[in-house]
Amino acid sequence: MLFNSAEFLFGFTPVAVLGFYLLGRFSRVSAIRWLIAVSLVFYGWWRPLNVLIIGPSILINYGLARVLLRLNESEQARQWSQAILLLGILFNVAFLGVFKYTDFITGTVNDVFGANFVLLHIILPLGISFITFQKIAFLVDVQAGRIKSFTFQDYCTFVLFFPQLIAGPIVHYREMMPQFHTTSCRFNQENVAVGLTLLLFGLFKKVVLADKMAPLVTPIYEHATSGANISFLTAWMAAVGFTLQIYFDFSGYTDMALGLARLFGIKLPPNFNSPLRAASIIDFWLRWHMTLTRFLTAYVYNPLALTLTRRRLAKGLPGLGGRNTTMGAFVSLLVVPTILTMCISGLWHGAGYGFVVWGLLNGIYITINHAWRLAAARLWKDRRSYDRLMRPAGQLVTFIMVCATMIFFRAPTITSAIDLLKGIAGLNGLGLPQDLLGRLGPVAGILHGINGVAGSGQDLMITGKWICLLLVIALALPNTLQILDRYEPALGIRPSANKLSIGKIRVLEWSPSLPWAIAVSAIAAIAFVYIGGPSEFLYWQF
Amino acid sequence: MASQEVLSKFTDILRDLLLDDSVELTMETRREDVPGWDSFNYINFTVAVEMQFGVKFKIADIESFPNVGAIVTKVTEMMATSRPVEKTLR
Repeated sequence: MLFNSAEFLFGFTPVAVLGFYLLGRFSRVSAIRWLIAVSLVFYGWWRPLNVLIIGPSILINYGLARVLLRLNESEQARQWSQAILLLGILFNVAFLGVFKYTDFITGTVNDVFGANFVLLHIILPLGISFITFQKIAFLVDVQAGRIKSFTFQDYCTFVLFFPQLIAGPIVHYREMMPQFHTTSCRFNQENVAVGLTLLLFGLFKKVVLADKMAPLVTPIYEHATSGANISFLTAWMAAVGFTLQIYFDFSGYTDMALGLARLFGIKLPPNFNSPLRAASIIDFWLRWHMTLTRFLTAYVYNPLALTLTRRRLAKGLPGLGGRNTTMGAFVSLLVVPTILTMCISGLWHGAGYGFVVWGLLNGIYITINHAWRLAAARLWKDRRSYDRLMRPAGQLVTFIMVCATMIFFRAPTITSAIDLLKGIAGLNGLGLPQDLLGRLGPVAGILHGINGVAGSGQDLMITGKWICLLLVIALALPNTLQILDRYEPALGIRPSANKLSIGKIRVLEWSPSLPWAIAVSAIAAIAFVYIGGPSEFLYWQF
Repeated sequence: MASQEVLSKFTDILRDLLLDDSVELTMETRREDVPGWDSFNYINFTVAVEMQFGVKFKIADIESFPNVGAIVTKVTEMMATSRPVEKTLR
């Protein structure tokens, strides 16, 4: 049941929410149990077998967490608790691995050794990558003593809560459970108004903005896969177009998740903060899929970097110490953990070489970003003039580099991705449409020699227009969290002081008022025309 | 060691790490208040603190310090406990 389907929006959600409010009148326990039940229905809707797959995993994780809680009570049992935690992590990674990577590994073995093992074509249980990370985080938190008590019902609510079950945001137990324990379980005007607004903004982003972009860029990737050379203009459109598509797709999904949760009085953590405006790649990762970055930082990068740094310093070797940073320290304390973390991120996204390259590229970018910071601080003493000059340049470079990585994320094969990159570099000719060339007069003669195969003018014009429109929305307009910031649309979002205002009226600041009701209804009306399309959310496949 | 003293040593460590002498830490400073003090520099900072004060944090502590004051308190606390801290950190 997709978030953007009529059955979900007009059937499942109203029943789930109204049932929750109704039962909330009697007791919290029954309302929460209802929530768990509808979440299971939601999860099993597409393929009931999924529930049988995730069920045992929940029971095993719950059992392990109970054991960890018991072991934490005594100091002597620390060793054991670490062993149990390791076992739990291995179980979850293996669980994910069997479903996600069996075919990939078999395929790789076949490729490398010319073997002929049969691919099993295992169907991925919905949202398994997200659920796995969340379960690991829970076990780590219990072992670290950050979670002191929990019941089976708490655990099920935490793992199964349907608004964030399939594609995040990846939440922490300690930020969710206090909310489930205190939410009123009743109808609340503000929650419903804010929740519906977020839900409808997200729906619009997905079914109108992302889904109109998709059919314009998909053919280019298919074309590249079939072996055609993609020219300069078309390749750029494929890169920028897909970046915009995935941004509106995933941030649209996230807005819907935030809105759905809010209908139950629950606030989820923010996941996007206008990432395409980032001024560096480090900044980008602090604004794009923020809860994944948070997870990877806390549970992969930090332990890794901490161990490496301690080990190095204990040996008496210099650490990463600002001015005195040596090449050795930089490589072993920054490059190694960063690239490893980003490769894990790539593999987590999908079992394929493209995702690994995507992760690797991002890891390399981030280390370059760090090296640049160290160098720039030496070369450029005055920070303010540096920021003024370099910020716009940083934004442009970051945007281009992000678009380039997205080619590997999207292209079905590495060969096609490389061909598209050649196109971006201009090696496959410019590809300007014939009628545009005709209008350029004398310049056309020069361009003709390097133009290569001319693109189709009409397609390029439509794609170009959509790209411009989406770029304006992504770069110039406030994002949903900013528009709603007075009502804490996501956990920890506070009203911002500097807002665009004309006279005394703050422009684009949401309030429960008639003009906004009309505006949101209009957005919803447009979105409703397009729902029910066959388009899955890009992140639901992970 | 008084907390003010610990705090000023923290400031020195962070200035050196970020190559920015304008950094000024208070007990209430949070990481997001200091430009450039991201997760990467945070790890370097905590290990530098460990080395300088001869203490060792738990990874869970490192992630849950709400502000600089909490780190100062933790370090002072750890230094006050009589148990000598192992020098070799593994």
